[in-house]
Amino acid sequence: MYIAGGETLFVQHLGITGARTLDYFKKHMTGYRAAQKAAGMTTEAIIDEVKRSWLRGRGGAGFPTGTKWSFVPKTTAQKYLVCNADESEPGTFKDRAIIRNMPHMLVEGMIIAARAIGASRGYIYIRGEYEEEAGILEEALKEARDAGQLGKVDIFVHRGAGAYICGEETGLLNSLEGLRGEPRDKPPFPAVKGAFDGPTVVNNVETLACIPSIIMNGGAWFAGLGRIEKSGGTRLVGVSGQVNRPGLYEIPAGGATIREIIYDICGGIADDRQLRAVIPGGSSTPPLSADEIDVVYDIEPLACAGSMLGSAAMIVVSEDYCLVRLLERIVLFYERESCGQCTPCREGVAWARKILSRIERGTGTDRDISLLLSVADSINGKALCALGDAAALPIMGFVKKFRADFEAHVRGGRCPGA
Amino acid sequence: MPWCLIDGKNVEFSDGATIIEAAGSAGIFIPHFCYHPGLGAPAQCRMCVVEVEGRTKLQTACSTPACEGMIVKTGSERVKQVQKSTMEFLLINHPLDCAICDKSGECMLQDNSYHYGDATMRTVEERRTYADLEMGPVIKKNMNRCIHCTRCIRFGEKVAGIAEMAAFGRGGSTEIATLDGAELKTPYAGNYSDICPTGALTLKDFRFKKRSWLLTKTAAVCEGCSRGCAIEVHHADGVVYRQVARENLRINRYWICDEGRFLYRYLGDPERVRQPLVSGNISDWVSAAGVAREMFNGGRVMVLAGEDLTLEEAKELLDFVRPAGAGIFRFGTPQVCAARDDGDEDMILRRKSKTSNLHGLQQLGISAFDGRPSGTVLVVRGGRAVIPDLGGCKVIGAGVFQGGETTDFEAVLPGRAFLEKGGSIVNCDGIEQRGVSVVPGPAEAKGLGDILRLLGRGGD
Repeated sequence: MYIAGGETLFVQHLGITGARTLDYFKKHMTGYRAAQKAAGMTTEAIIDEVKRSWLRGRGGAGFPTGTKWSFVPKTTAQKYLVCNADESEPGTFKDRAIIRNMPHMLVEGMIIAARAIGASRGYIYIRGEYEEEAGILEEALKEARDAGQLGKVDIFVHRGAGAYICGEETGLLNSLEGLRGEPRDKPPFPAVKGAFDGPTVVNNVETLACIPSIIMNGGAWFAGLGRIEKSGGTRLVGVSGQVNRPGLYEIPAGGATIREIIYDICGGIADDRQLRAVIPGGSSTPPLSADEIDVVYDIEPLACAGSMLGSAAMIVVSEDYCLVRLLERIVLFYERESCGQCTPCREGVAWARKILSRIERGTGTDRDISLLLSVADSINGKALCALGDAAALPIMGFVKKFRADFEAHVRGGRCPGA
Repeated sequence: MPWCLIDGKNVEFSDGATIIEAAGSAGIFIPHFCYHPGLGAPAQCRMCVVEVEGRTKLQTACSTPACEGMIVKTGSERVKQVQKSTMEFLLINHPLDCAICDKSGECMLQDNSYHYGDATMRTVEERRTYADLEMGPVIKKNMNRCIHCTRCIRFGEKVAGIAEMAAFGRGGSTEIATLDGAELKTPYAGNYSDICPTGALTLKDFRFKKRSWLLTKTAAVCEGCSRGCAIEVHHADGVVYRQVARENLRINRYWICDEGRFLYRYLGDPERVRQPLVSGNISDWVSAAGVAREMFNGGRVMVLAGEDLTLEEAKELLDFVRPAGAGIFRFGTPQVCAARDDGDEDMILRRKSKTSNLHGLQQLGISAFDGRPSGTVLVVRGGRAVIPDLGGCKVIGAGVFQGGETTDFEAVLPGRAFLEKGGSIVNCDGIEQRGVSVVPGPAEAKGLGDILRLLGRGGD
């Protein structure tokens, strides 16, 4: 775990024995003092502070958190705060680090967020595979509850059963309610009608864990940690793939380019090979080729470059890896994880994967490449939730940027260099 | 009323209406699969997309509320493209077995494919297949044909009040099945076939009996109980092949029960008395009417009118009986002697009175039979009313009977059933509905007017 210059919120607590205890939290972190401070603030003041911080959702969509909170109607209806700890996007492993090492920071963030939106109930929906982490959260909640820190907010840990789609916020809410984990048609959005039909805010773990320091130090301070406009704080970046030092890093928002992350922070490509492609934000984000890595690693620069920051899970691919096979593996994941309720995702993704498998095995034709693109286009933007796009965008991105590889598979039955 | 512009047409709509509803009210059809007015709009099939000016993404017409001044295009190039790809996706795994599928000719998938799909296919992949699942006596399931619209799941949950169907697995291998593979329990199971947009759920009763396009479809009213549900009778060459639900928002919405659905069977029952009988033996009209007339005019007569007769028949009977001075009483469902005894049998449609016109006959002032027959009894009946114990009385039957019911009758004069004659009935809420004659009935059966004339006149 490395720090890349500037102030950090998280990485200094990683790997420290006892960091997850209330005792350590009180000594070395905000220690529920931010929650106490927030208790003396109006809900509007809390939301304004978060808006000022330019904290943007760390789950993938990058929506400004304060704005999201402000959508919750000021009614007396029972409201809910839900922490999305379903961290399932391939390549992503930041939330687990927060839960394992600083669970109280998340709990404190939830207490403050619940106060801001007027929720008296909070749920942490944690992916089923994070069994140990669920226990850590239960332990932290018990410590906080026993110490009287939770106040009027009750927070429950709810374990998922292993479906990627339950990380989609409305799929998550269905699952939380005991229904089949299928996303809901939107609108209505959760802020209006979410968990148990009540107004609900769903925030990512890292997002909520940023809240205590925003309240302690002010929104302006947090915004100032970012190095670009409209993006505050720091970012946990999970780097995996063929780099010399894969791992979890914390950088100022917009504080490094992809090139700097790969070559300066992660020590370059393993075995001194050439870089071939970077999947910048988790497996659903379109890839960048080796000549596109001078882009600043944050939401808007990446959007301009035709990709997405997603959950800041960077997958680095070197020249010795077959991109067709990689794409097939990615699409296979989305095929298996499609909930099956809407037509384009259920049928289209499975079809696309079959075409890709043909191409990868060398039994495809030239026509299959254009067919693959056409199928992806028929899925993109037409599915009920974003999972369809998650499969379609990488297909379109890989074929567009690395078409020669696909053609080589079709014509020669193998990768160009192999 | 607010208005919007759909395909250049000014459409007024009521508050809360969705685009598909607004369009429908103006006669603009938007293709769909998962949407059903009685089952909600989960926006899953993505077939009903339309273009709404000012919105970047295409919108699902089933789940998007119509707004004042909204400009909607249901057939733009973008929309057509998505419809085409949705059809293509749905057909990747759908078998091309229309030739042997009972849904063929009335299949939404077939119709939408014809109108909105592409004539050529780009798939070479093997189709997905599933093992069969036995679902009980009413419905035959063929999962290979399923397009995952979830209408059946929602019907169970929202209408039948029993969540017996569910989606299992996920993604492309999602299977719709009953919980634990159990047989369907709802007494409304036939509706699963009505709402299924493909041949995935077909009616066992109807399978392989007739191609749908050879059937004549006539609107009718169900006579199975005092609800009087709207039905559509599907028949050919004088034979009824099935009954399906017809929309009537005041009475049965979109549904009917299985009892009503399969009621038509008694019309063609081999046990039905189709020819005049004298002392249980097949006779002819001259002899049977002669025997009956002699009995009817030979002493004290009691007339029992089934609550399954139409208003017209009941009035005819009253006009015939009252001058003759005979007593007339009605009979129908045991323990349901009057409108006040008639209640809901379940939370959905079925009523306690299993005859269609209890309320009508009561309104005409005909009293309920008190169980004490005397003299000669003339039983006039449409086919549903339960014949009471007539103890040692001499009985003449007029109307629709099954063989076993008339063993002790002196004479039986075969009449027409409700679907063979038409007429008016009054349902449990006092709504009077008129049915038409759908099929002609047995050649030798006569209408009640003719039978009464034969009884009254002095010989033919």
